[in-house]
Amino acid sequence: MPRIDRLLAAASLCLALFASPLIGTTAHAKDALIVDLVSEPSSLDPQKQWNPDSYYVYRNIFDNMLTRDDDGKIVPQIATAWKYASDTEVVFTIRDDVKFHDGAPLTAEDVAFSVKRIIDPKFASPQLGQFNKITSAEVTGEHEVTLKTDGAYPVLLAQLVKLSVVPKHVVEKVGDDAFNLAPIGSGPYKFDKWQRGVSVTLARNDDYWADRGTFTIAEFRAVPDAATRVADLQSGAADLVVSLDSDLAAQLKGSSAAKPLIALTERVAYVKLNPTLPPFNDVRVRQAVAHAIDKQGLVDGILGGFDKPADQMATPSHFGYVEGITGSAYDPELAKKLIAEAGVSGTHLAFATSPTFDQRIVQAIAQMLTDVGLPVDLQLTDMATYLKHVQSDPDKQPMISFGRWSCACQDVDGVLFPLLHSSSSWSSLQNPDIDKLLDTARNTLDEKARLDAYKKVSEFIASDVPLVPLYQAAAIYGAANGLKWQPTANESMFLNRMSWAD
Amino acid sequence: MSAFFLKRTLQAIIAVMGVITLIFFLQRLSGDPTLLLVPQNATQADIDALRHSLGFDRPLVVQYLDFMRNLLSFDLGRSFVQNVDVTTLIWSRLPYTLMLAGGALVVAFGIGIPLGVLMAVRRDKPEVRPMMALVLACQSMPTFWSAILMILVFAVWLGWLPPSGAREPASLIMPSIALGMLSMATFARVSRTAVLDELEKDYVRTGHAKGLPMRRIVMRHLLRNASIPVVSVGALEIANLLAGAVITETVFAWPGLGQLTVQAINARDFLVVQGVVLLGSVTAIVLNLIADLLYSLIDPRIRVGGDTA
Repeated sequence: MPRIDRLLAAASLCLALFASPLIGTTAHAKDALIVDLVSEPSSLDPQKQWNPDSYYVYRNIFDNMLTRDDDGKIVPQIATAWKYASDTEVVFTIRDDVKFHDGAPLTAEDVAFSVKRIIDPKFASPQLGQFNKITSAEVTGEHEVTLKTDGAYPVLLAQLVKLSVVPKHVVEKVGDDAFNLAPIGSGPYKFDKWQRGVSVTLARNDDYWADRGTFTIAEFRAVPDAATRVADLQSGAADLVVSLDSDLAAQLKGSSAAKPLIALTERVAYVKLNPTLPPFNDVRVRQAVAHAIDKQGLVDGILGGFDKPADQMATPSHFGYVEGITGSAYDPELAKKLIAEAGVSGTHLAFATSPTFDQRIVQAIAQMLTDVGLPVDLQLTDMATYLKHVQSDPDKQPMISFGRWSCACQDVDGVLFPLLHSSSSWSSLQNPDIDKLLDTARNTLDEKARLDAYKKVSEFIASDVPLVPLYQAAAIYGAANGLKWQPTANESMFLNRMSWAD
Repeated sequence: MSAFFLKRTLQAIIAVMGVITLIFFLQRLSGDPTLLLVPQNATQADIDALRHSLGFDRPLVVQYLDFMRNLLSFDLGRSFVQNVDVTTLIWSRLPYTLMLAGGALVVAFGIGIPLGVLMAVRRDKPEVRPMMALVLACQSMPTFWSAILMILVFAVWLGWLPPSGAREPASLIMPSIALGMLSMATFARVSRTAVLDELEKDYVRTGHAKGLPMRRIVMRHLLRNASIPVVSVGALEIANLLAGAVITETVFAWPGLGQLTVQAINARDFLVVQGVVLLGSVTAIVLNLIADLLYSLIDPRIRVGGDTA
């Protein structure tokens, strides 16, 4: 069949021409690090989008006001020192030897500009809620910026860990859109190129003022399927991959080319009960739920043992974590008894959840509750609908819902206040005593007074059970065998803190 | 002919408008993306402020008219998640989608049609059985499974091909096969049936009687007659390849429109979804139009009928 042969030849030629825009292979050298993310960053302007895939990339391009070391302690970065002029005024000393990637020095003006930019409602940053307690930022000396807050704000420093400093002269000159496409920062890596949908490439900033990175180039790629990320790692096409589950981690443990890297994060999984709706208006039923859930079983049986059962809505990496809080022990018999006492045995529970969460966990909990006499009807909706449902008036909120919480600030104010204060849309609790404790802790700089208040709130959670804390979530990464890196609780990924083992 | 063309174009425009309107309202049935954008501890005031600045607090009708007005000036709007024009996003992904669809089409046409013809012409021979088995297998294997299996074998074990991404021309091979396999099976089946039908016809017997070799009968006379059903299935399959690459693109991290769509749907990036749907519906309609026109080129009988009607 000569004609078909010719057709085939022509077709393969067409294909070759089609494929020509694919760029040539870059040699997989040790001086390049290839990272597989789930999606591509939605934005590289650090003051716009805030999702993990954007965050992993742009935090290497920019320096922040402050940062956390690998142990989670807040340490200087662009601000070298800070002192409280009053409860509502903090004076920051700004480092004088930092240069942006275009060579211009980073000044106090840039710092003040960055703060004012993100707190400007017109700029509409999704991160506004993290910074809107700051009312003003003024340059008050050659290397000095003073921030004023609306009332005493103890979480200010923890929030400034996420405040990236952008160059005023560049942003004002090119505008927000162009800046987003070609960001200029002062961080350890410079933006090199963004091949949309494929990858973002960063190049090392050889003039960086602090620890320079090991890799001359870092490439972040979008690989949505977790099994493919693992295949990339095993075949050497990637050096570091994010967001694996425990099964894939187990697979990597048996691999000769790669290893799992696991860190407990500040994210806590919980079940929220709505005390305004029956049957959970009876404290015994709420306690029964807490007794019915086998946290250790969830962690060992489903999550591969990497996560850690939790008795409070905080982790040791949080300010406000209380030593010695014990939650309700796993005791299904006691749970049955409490349910029988309350006379609600057989009541169907409408359990709100979303595909974003691990459905194995949700289904296991549903089974545990069914076993003690509270049959569960799962209500699975997409994330946006779920969020709308759990953030409404208390009597319109779900009876019971699953969630995972991280304020990305490592301070329980960012967890307990939104979940329990009656003014918050997430809260279904209306308890003036708890409101008062949370208000006190939010509005004083006195650490001891704050800790005392949070201790009472955590004890209240353990006994009154508006929430059942389940476990501290682990973040599972996969890395090439030779990569040295310690992942941290705040799920950040700083390239200049990684290196190759010799 | 021109009246026919005009009528079809008008129908096409109405269909596209319908699709766009439907997708506009369907997407907004279950709320807006504001809640997905803010950090967990944002207050209601923060959420309201962001919703206002994104324009989602305006009445739906106002948002719709606004969108339609922009559409008339070919402005698809801006992704509020990525802060980039939707047109830019689509243009950046389109070459990859075309590449993948092209590759898959080569697999589907290049293997499917010869295989189908062969299976028909040698229908009684034993060598046809494994071919039938192959077609059946390709038709039955779900892409997400066959794709990950291919990655495991050819990238992880053998190390011959890159596992994912779009870094080098070899990256195109596995996704093309994974995506093309199903269409390949369809083409093989359709062309086999079509050729079998034609083999019974008088002109084939005449060919035999004249002493023409089988190869000449098939190549010169039969294929042209058998190609009508293949063309109509082809138009549908190409539209499918352009739109249905979501799973293949996800598994192979191929940066085409399918991945963009899934990402946009999950983030409720409405304008991006609308843009892709618009493109997809226009493509499907145009392809069908082309198929209609192709019939008349291939088969003069259709052309004659069309003109007199």
